[in-house]
Amino acid sequence: MTVIRPSVPSESAAVIEGLSDEQLLVAVGVSQDRQAFNTLFQRFSKRIFAMGMKLTRNEQLSQDLVQEAMMTVWTKSPLYNLDRGTAQSWIFTLARNRCFDMLRKKKRQPQTVSADDIWPQDAGVDMALTHEAEGPQAVEVEQIERLYAQLPPAQQHVIEQIYILDRTHEEAAAELAIPLGTLKSRLRLAMAKLRSLIGVEQ
Amino acid sequence: MTSANYHPSDRVLREYVQGQLSTGMCVALSAHIELCSNCAEQCGELESQEAAAWLHADTEHATPDFAEMANTIMELPQQTDWDGAISDESLASEIQLTDQNFSLPRVLAKAASNGLVWKKIAGGISQASLAIDHETQCEFLYMAPGSKVPVHHHQGTEVTLIIGGGFEDEFGRYGPSDFLVRAKHDHHQPSTEEGCLCFAVLDAPLTFTQGLARLLNPINRYRFYRATSHRR
Repeated sequence: MTVIRPSVPSESAAVIEGLSDEQLLVAVGVSQDRQAFNTLFQRFSKRIFAMGMKLTRNEQLSQDLVQEAMMTVWTKSPLYNLDRGTAQSWIFTLARNRCFDMLRKKKRQPQTVSADDIWPQDAGVDMALTHEAEGPQAVEVEQIERLYAQLPPAQQHVIEQIYILDRTHEEAAAELAIPLGTLKSRLRLAMAKLRSLIGVEQ
Repeated sequence: MTSANYHPSDRVLREYVQGQLSTGMCVALSAHIELCSNCAEQCGELESQEAAAWLHADTEHATPDFAEMANTIMELPQQTDWDGAISDESLASEIQLTDQNFSLPRVLAKAASNGLVWKKIAGGISQASLAIDHETQCEFLYMAPGSKVPVHHHQGTEVTLIIGGGFEDEFGRYGPSDFLVRAKHDHHQPSTEEGCLCFAVLDAPLTFTQGLARLLNPINRYRFYRATSHRR
């Protein structure tokens, strides 16, 4: 009998603290990891407040900016992947955009163009894909390889066992010396993450 | 994609990345960047630099306590598609003037999505205002083939992005995706053989300096005042 765990085995606080901004952001996007979000919140909220004070010189607006920007980090984190650059650039541009829109609203500007129209999120990605297309097949394989490299090592090992070496779940669990349940949950997480990354790219 | 010969300065690009410029100016820059891969690349680089500087700067303000905020935020559902930003299908991205067709950068197509009202302003020149912000006057300017703008100077800064066609003045020849900045008190007299569609952002009214065109000055000041006055 196997027990399939509902989510990532919970990491200790010390492990979370040691993760990069990118790893935290991916954890928030893929598995709604609350500890990871709290850590990002601690790392970035003061910075966002300072950006607000610089651009608006208004404490209340700057507090609202922290709320709006961190809310956007939470809701849009599934759309983040490493092709979008570093987590700090991603959060910087997102906070700047929210701040720009808040100021436009305060100045009662017409609602014809928003910050996301001025700084479109997909601009860089579009260009990268259209310039290097060598035929649909080539792009897909290359894309999968790149996304595969973004998975945590533990998930890569599972994918390698099942999809590259063609092992059964039982063989793979024995080979990696992990319980079958853990193998299955890692496989599920890896597939969910690949799906979300592919969804973002297309 | 045509390559531009005239680009925004590094300082302007940096202020754009920092979110420090007026909305009108940002729209002109965004449109240029869509047409110019060099400037797009440079903006990506500046964004990385600014983000790093942002994270390493000293915080000079006492920061309020956000203890409860993170928990409230995590009650919200997450999202898997971008929304709010421009979706291409719903936007008319072409403008037809006399017998010329011009395709618009996306941000300009969005800005023009409420419709344009064209007015003739002087021999062969038409103008259509865009309501973008209250600090600048934003407009499309169309010069019909063979037309000439009366000599004028600017009280503030004028930024011009060439969308299609081209024109020339005392200083040079300009073509598609060129980004031109005319500072205060520069005199110039643009003319075009092939016709030209531009997007222009002014932060103060035009002043004509020659002949009967000077009669337009009070009208221009009035237009500028109307375009930039605060409406409630």
